[in-house]
Amino acid sequence: MIDVAQLKAHAKGLLEKGTVRTVFGYRKSTAGLLAEPAGITEAAQADDLIFDPSCVQNLALYLVNDKKHQAEKRSDDKRPVAVVAKGCDSRAITVLLQENHFSRESVHVIGVSCEGTGVVDARKLARKLGNKKALAVAFDGADAFAVTTNEGTQSIAAAEVMAERCLECRSAHPTLSDVVFGEAKAERGLHTPFQAVKAKIKESEEDRWAYWSRQFDRCLRCYACRSVCPMCYCDECVVDSISFVIAPDTTAEEKANRIKWIERSPAKSESAMYHMVRAIHLAGRCIDCAECERVCPVNIPLRLLNTRLEMEAFETFQYNPGSDPELPTLTSSFRDTDPNSFIR
Amino acid sequence: MAKVEQTAKDETGFEPKIVAFLCKWCSSAGSDLAGVSRLQYPSNAVPITIMCSGSMSPMFVLSAFNKGADGVLVSGCHPGDCHYLKGNFYARRKIYLVQKLLQFIGLENDRFRMSWVSAAEGAKFAQVMHDFVTDIKKIGPQTRLKAKRP
Ligand code: SF4
Ligand code: SF4
Ligand code: FES
Repeated sequence: MIDVAQLKAHAKGLLEKGTVRTVFGYRKSTAGLLAEPAGITEAAQADDLIFDPSCVQNLALYLVNDKKHQAEKRSDDKRPVAVVAKGCDSRAITVLLQENHFSRESVHVIGVSCEGTGVVDARKLARKLGNKKALAVAFDGADAFAVTTNEGTQSIAAAEVMAERCLECRSAHPTLSDVVFGEAKAERGLHTPFQAVKAKIKESEEDRWAYWSRQFDRCLRCYACRSVCPMCYCDECVVDSISFVIAPDTTAEEKANRIKWIERSPAKSESAMYHMVRAIHLAGRCIDCAECERVCPVNIPLRLLNTRLEMEAFETFQYNPGSDPELPTLTSSFRDTDPNSFIR
Repeated sequence: MAKVEQTAKDETGFEPKIVAFLCKWCSSAGSDLAGVSRLQYPSNAVPITIMCSGSMSPMFVLSAFNKGADGVLVSGCHPGDCHYLKGNFYARRKIYLVQKLLQFIGLENDRFRMSWVSAAEGAKFAQVMHDFVTDIKKIGPQTRLKAKRP
């Protein structure tokens, strides 16, 4: 079981010595059950850090955002930043390293093992508790959560309220870290990976289109899923013409001639385009942190779309995103034995 | 593309619009050969020459469907024959993924195709186009990804 006191002491040591600029970790939220991401810069704040099943967010996002902020500020503080990373988060950091988004020296990874239980799905937990309101959730042995409600604390089997992705997790232990807290546990293996995708593939073409067309129609194109994804780091995004960089020397003609790949309106056809672009850009890069699905205000099944290509990466190309920073990425490599029979 | 023959319209009058992304070094030359050899094949393709199948972006495919293509073809040099040595191997992986994704959301299977056509294979190009047009005529116009623009 993870000892949070050790985690705090480690973060405090880093900040006292000044070896890192910031520590990104979790602290208790003032609103609701789930922890909130915290960027701490003072040793005294290290006491606020927590790690429990409410720490669902993928903090790799904050490394990406921090890089942008440092560039905007023209900061010359080149010290590394530290980040608390679960298994899935560490895979996200590995993908970013593979893509040379930042260097290995610029990040200090404080790995945390979520061991047998993973993190909680707040919606599942609320459903399970009925009209009781969860106030806190803690690890309780190898396969349960201790959930505190307004009526006291009870133990709930983790598998009942665990996040979907944790049920399918293939490596609950960080693959990349400078220090790790908690015991190493490899596969959790509660659910077979990709089973939802496989069930969907069995449906008829008509049914699949009916399903996805309804989803695309509902999408608000708020881009929350893009904002929360650590892999969506481009300054300019093809789906959204207002993100195109306009420099002082950009001429009116250049602006007018920018390709508008899709319209910004949330019409069904344009949202379909958005989701196709998003999914294909994440092929071999999505590490299934499920943050996109969690933040979607209208419950679009984004994980289902992401895992379609992850399944292909894994089963057809034996590629596991975020397993090795030295490996070439899925689409920048090939084998002579890649599928060929689909080509005429 | 050189000379092509107009096909007779079918009863519904539906003539599929096919956007064909053809590698400059092979398939594009292959389509020319089909023309100068006076092979008869349907004239439904809007050919777009690309430098190599490896330069094919998934965005081009999606955009073509969004703008109303009934079918999209990507055609490059045979494995081992790419002018840039490896471009078509990268393309094969990428296009495979795009195809799986489009199938998953329920776009009709027959609307997106890839082929290897060398500069010497005019007859093969004619055959690929003929088969593609025949298959798309069976499923009718593409409406699923097409934008409803005024
Ligand atoms: S899928 Fe959800 S989060 Fe993403 S843009 Fe659509 S409504 Fe927003
Ligand atoms: S696409 Fe979603 S699940 Fe995949 S890395 Fe991005 S936020 Fe995480
Ligand atoms: S040059 Fe034809 S596929 Fe690369």
